[in-house]
Amino acid sequence: MKRMTVVGALLLAGLLSTTLPAAAQDWIRTGTGVGGEKIRIAVPEFRVVRNDPTATPLDKTFNDVLFSDLQQAGIFDLVSRSFYPVEPVGYPNEANLDHWGAPPVKASMLAFGNLGVSNGAMQVQGWLFDVKSPQAPQVLAKQYRETATDDNARLIAHRFANEIIFRLGGGINGIAESKIYYISNRSGHKEVWAMDYDGAGQHPVTHLGSIALSPRVSPDNTKIAFASYAKGGPNVSIYSLELGRMLNFPVMGGTTVSPAWSSDGAKLAFSSSRSGDSEIYVTDANGGHLQRLTSVHGPDVSPVWNPKTNAQIAWVSGRTGLPQIYIMDSDGSNIQRLTDQGYAVSPSWSPNGQYLAFAWIRHYGAGAPGHSDIYLMDVASRKWIQLTHDGGRNDSPSWSPDGRHIVYQSTRGGQEQIWTMLADGSEHVQLTFSGSNTQPNWSWK
Amino acid sequence: MPQDADIYEYREAIAPSLAFSTALHAALVACVLFVPAMMGHHGSDWGNNGSGGDGAMSATLVSGIPLPPNPHASKESVLATESKGLSESLPAPIAKPDEKAIAIPDRDAKTKKQTAREKAEEAAREAAHEKDIQKLRAALAKNALAKNRPVPADNSIPYGQGAPAAGPFTTFQTGNTTGGMSFGEGGGGSFGSRFGWYTDVVARKVHDAWQNEVNPGVSTARRVYILFDISRSGSPSHVKVEQSSGVPSLDQAAVRAIQRIDTFGPLPQGYNGNYVSVEFWFDYRR
Repeated sequence: MKRMTVVGALLLAGLLSTTLPAAAQDWIRTGTGVGGEKIRIAVPEFRVVRNDPTATPLDKTFNDVLFSDLQQAGIFDLVSRSFYPVEPVGYPNEANLDHWGAPPVKASMLAFGNLGVSNGAMQVQGWLFDVKSPQAPQVLAKQYRETATDDNARLIAHRFANEIIFRLGGGINGIAESKIYYISNRSGHKEVWAMDYDGAGQHPVTHLGSIALSPRVSPDNTKIAFASYAKGGPNVSIYSLELGRMLNFPVMGGTTVSPAWSSDGAKLAFSSSRSGDSEIYVTDANGGHLQRLTSVHGPDVSPVWNPKTNAQIAWVSGRTGLPQIYIMDSDGSNIQRLTDQGYAVSPSWSPNGQYLAFAWIRHYGAGAPGHSDIYLMDVASRKWIQLTHDGGRNDSPSWSPDGRHIVYQSTRGGQEQIWTMLADGSEHVQLTFSGSNTQPNWSWK
Repeated sequence: MPQDADIYEYREAIAPSLAFSTALHAALVACVLFVPAMMGHHGSDWGNNGSGGDGAMSATLVSGIPLPPNPHASKESVLATESKGLSESLPAPIAKPDEKAIAIPDRDAKTKKQTAREKAEEAAREAAHEKDIQKLRAALAKNALAKNRPVPADNSIPYGQGAPAAGPFTTFQTGNTTGGMSFGEGGGGSFGSRFGWYTDVVARKVHDAWQNEVNPGVSTARRVYILFDISRSGSPSHVKVEQSSGVPSLDQAAVRAIQRIDTFGPLPQGYNGNYVSVEFWFDYRR
């Protein structure tokens, strides 16, 4: 009798497992839909005014950076410059909207302006016009004044691009001024490096002559938390970008790695084996008020906060064998497992709290073609999609502050390098080319 | 040594080895058969949504990310035709009786009776018809050459069947759902025409936030109207169903699409009011 009950239960379980997913399938959305087309924008080269000889190279930098910023924003369809009318546009009265709205340009938006240098100061005026409403076309008018250097031309272009993206992208700040922090061995040691989001201006941040791992910049962009072997065993270290030196952080003991900032900058979560088994801990930003969140045997590493609420933490746990992604409330309760096959690591929570990006080898083990690829999971529904395909080993995804881009490391070109892509898995761009560059982290703004 | 003793000795020596070998092979075969069957079990097909294999859910999640999906095909209206000649049909040719055919007496009775005059008349008629066709062909060729106009594409909208020139300010389509909206601002109501770019932004954001949570049993529903305000800072508020579709899950999906949005971006600088109210409608058809 008992045996029959067991067999019945097994049969029922088998039946459920086969029928339930089939019923759930009806609820899945199909078709990406049309109508969300990109905004067609024309960006004629900014006109040089006031004939200073130093203005021309600055103007070139400005134009190149503005064009590439808008192109990488992910919401624009930039009209090729070869289609543009020949007359230069520097001021609103020179903008003949009929020409820009008609074929072959057919732009719906026009960004233009002028750049002048006088007495070592560079002045840029920029406008954004809605080509389709000639009565009141002005959407945006901005004026910038900085010392005339190449870096400032780049900066002004980033700022103007950000304004355009903010206006037309629905109130989401552009990422043109954001930075990416990463680990590079170019100096012979693994140090924390930084670069602009487009790969420009790569430079080392720390000079510890040791091993640095998993840099995480604080939400106010003033500090970098990372794991360092500088004081013996790996411990969480904090480097102040404002002071240019290390800050004090208590030595936790054991292997203490993978720090993560809460989005208000007040808390730090990390993994530590101070008790013998690696568990997730939370402290204040200065290391006080240590609190242990997990207590199950097995490694628990790579915590990351839900930046929208700071009420949840996603992390990687090996409590059932291979590492899997879990989430819990920030007090350690309500633990849920998100992945349940393969080998899943490196979670990164999207700025709006909706998605988790992570690296996943879905079929792990002998005989399985294990590729580590970047995946995206909708936390509420547990639906996921694969973002990278057949391109070496991809790991360490990190979201951009606008939630439209993801930076990650990949070996598709041979060595480990940093790449970015749009969050739908398109437009992969390689940012680093020399040495081995890993574990990128996108700044918060 | 006797010969038969040799044979017995030989047989006794091979028996244990043979048995051992057979057992070993049997074990090997068993291994080959059963081990993959045991190892091949990977647990339930979690994440595959019951579809089996490596088929992930599909790329639909992407439109939920604040990213516009692929650019869609052009839907511009095209004039049906500007050339009269192209739409004029040629007269049907008159079928000539086959000269080689053997006449069937009964059927060709009438033809037989044809007089010479009638024959001449028919010949004249045919000649005139041929001339007409030649003329039309020449006119067509001339027309086509002069305008150098390619044959109209198949996707042309026939005259009179195009969409009305004026509709809602902005529309979008995603999956089974079509949405549109109109802006009100207390007085005037010119927001949509003055700030077309902002209405585009709103439509794009709603499109990105729309998720199909409609009950799969529903094939079609009445249009649902959602009313909400956009404050000066761009955040939506006072989201409510103005007119229900009669399908609760569609109403809820529409409200949620708006509620998912934190901000549409600040209202245009040229606009003086504190907020605009937006009426958004969704059509659903499976």
